[in-house]
Amino acid sequence: MDKMRLENVTFAYGAEPVVHGVSLSMKPGHFYGVVGPNGAGKSTLLKLLDGFIRPREGTVYLDGKDLRTFSLARLAREIALIPQSSYYFPFTVEEMVMLGRAPFYSRLGTPSARDREIVRASMEITGIAHLAGRLASSLSGGERQRVTIARAFAQETKVLLLDEPTTHLDLEHQINTCRLLQRKSREGVTVAAVLHDLNLAASFCDHVFVLAEGRLREEGPPEEVFKPELIAEVFRVTVPPLHHPLTGRPIIAP
Amino acid sequence: MSRPLRRWAGALLIVFAAAVAATALGSVRVNVRDVLAILASRLPWVGSLIPRTWSAAHQAIVLQIRLPRVLLALVVGGGLSASGVLFQGSLRNPLADPYIIGVSSGASLGAAVALLLVIPKGWAGYASLPLFAFAGAVLATLTVARLGQRRGRLEPTSLLLAGVAVGAFLTAVVSALMVLRIENLQDVYLWLMGSLSGRTWVHLSMAAPYVFSGLLLALWLAKDLNIYLLGEEAAHSLGVDVQRVQRLVLIIGSLMAAACVSVTGVIGFVGLMVPHALRLLLGAENRRLILHSFWVGAVFLLAADTLARSAFAPLEVPVGIVTAFVGGPFFIYLLKRGSSFYG
Repeated sequence: MDKMRLENVTFAYGAEPVVHGVSLSMKPGHFYGVVGPNGAGKSTLLKLLDGFIRPREGTVYLDGKDLRTFSLARLAREIALIPQSSYYFPFTVEEMVMLGRAPFYSRLGTPSARDREIVRASMEITGIAHLAGRLASSLSGGERQRVTIARAFAQETKVLLLDEPTTHLDLEHQINTCRLLQRKSREGVTVAAVLHDLNLAASFCDHVFVLAEGRLREEGPPEEVFKPELIAEVFRVTVPPLHHPLTGRPIIAP
Repeated sequence: MSRPLRRWAGALLIVFAAAVAATALGSVRVNVRDVLAILASRLPWVGSLIPRTWSAAHQAIVLQIRLPRVLLALVVGGGLSASGVLFQGSLRNPLADPYIIGVSSGASLGAAVALLLVIPKGWAGYASLPLFAFAGAVLATLTVARLGQRRGRLEPTSLLLAGVAVGAFLTAVVSALMVLRIENLQDVYLWLMGSLSGRTWVHLSMAAPYVFSGLLLALWLAKDLNIYLLGEEAAHSLGVDVQRVQRLVLIIGSLMAAACVSVTGVIGFVGLMVPHALRLLLGAENRRLILHSFWVGAVFLLAADTLARSAFAPLEVPVGIVTAFVGGPFFIYLLKRGSSFYG
């Protein structure tokens, strides 16, 4: 059964569609990569999946039901989105991760012992437990990104959407982040991330969506999708057919 | 008692002690025991049991002159500070203040129109002045809110720009009015600097309902405001209706500030400095920040006003001058100390 499905979805901010007639589906337990050149509509696609924006045409489904039938509060328990940029007011790391539990307690209430436990576990998985009392605004880029991911984990949703979670990170943190997301997907979560680095997508994703000019150009496992012809056509870069000597996954390098 | 409870009891005690001390201080000294006795004598049930050992003049000074002014200082100081938290949050800008989207310039124009064109000289007794100022503040804020929308959504940057533009325009109109009606210049000028001089129970009754209901609503929205600070998309994903929260917070903050400004004139720095300083001390969590800003702002303005009326007695300095005088250097200190805070 598909966790999420897009059916012939079109969206435009002005007159020109940013996402054009896209249909796709995502299953539980898979790590999806969304790739494509700048302006291809990747972020917009993620916002459509999150319900932040509504399709002009077509329908987004969650568990087979139209996304529009879900209330905002309900959606917050189903789908977590990590946007491209976040603001960092002086919350402590723990407070920041605790915001991920906000959909689960009332506006005048306080987090329960269970909420605290989930927050602690999320901080441990992402390796930031030792930073719990620090101000999020005083952390390095890599640490902040892990705080944001910990917050999304604390939300305990079945769908996790991330917009460029690896930008501004060094190689080690890029790989750690992807491992973390891959592991999350193995717990049955549907993970979809916009990735600019095709090699990360090739190494870690089970399935990639290639967007170009608002349309779904190609999709499938990275080894079937990342052929030199497609890279040349979509990204306008000529690459030789390379494969990782150990994993056999494609390598995209000029 | 639990720790937070003890802390709040401590805060209340500080507010009460400051209020009693400020009521006792002034050109005519009333001793603290008399102040307490006069206050106690007004309580229901026990009031009649207090032996009357004070003079009628002292009673009049305490109840008719000082107490309303002291309470108004507390209410306005708390109101401006809590409102400052709301503006800094909803504009995601730690340097925003309650006046940034037009409340003060609108109120100034309203007051200037009243003082220069409508109300005759010797204005202090006229309770209609705050009504003019309040109307001006609300109209200006609505204009800014209207201009600060893009595609039907409020945007912090557009709001800030619209606030600056409308503010500059209205200030120019006020200046033009002042030049045209130069004989009433002093009244307007004093009003623009902000003062609690001569304010009575009427003024308190105009500001207090807005400030206290605003405070309660702000606390009700504090959790949403915390999430809102993460940015629009993240907040939406955490179940917060961003546009609704932003609208509500701006309306509540503006009404609180407008009610304060319209009875006291433009008292600067409190609504900027108190929330900012407390955020450095306590962090960004808004429920905590709103509550602490309220009582600290209240005591701060009370202290400033007491200084304003007693430092050069019998001459009174507008309290806005005192807050700016203290606020400027304090802000420079914060700037030097907490420069890496917002990363």
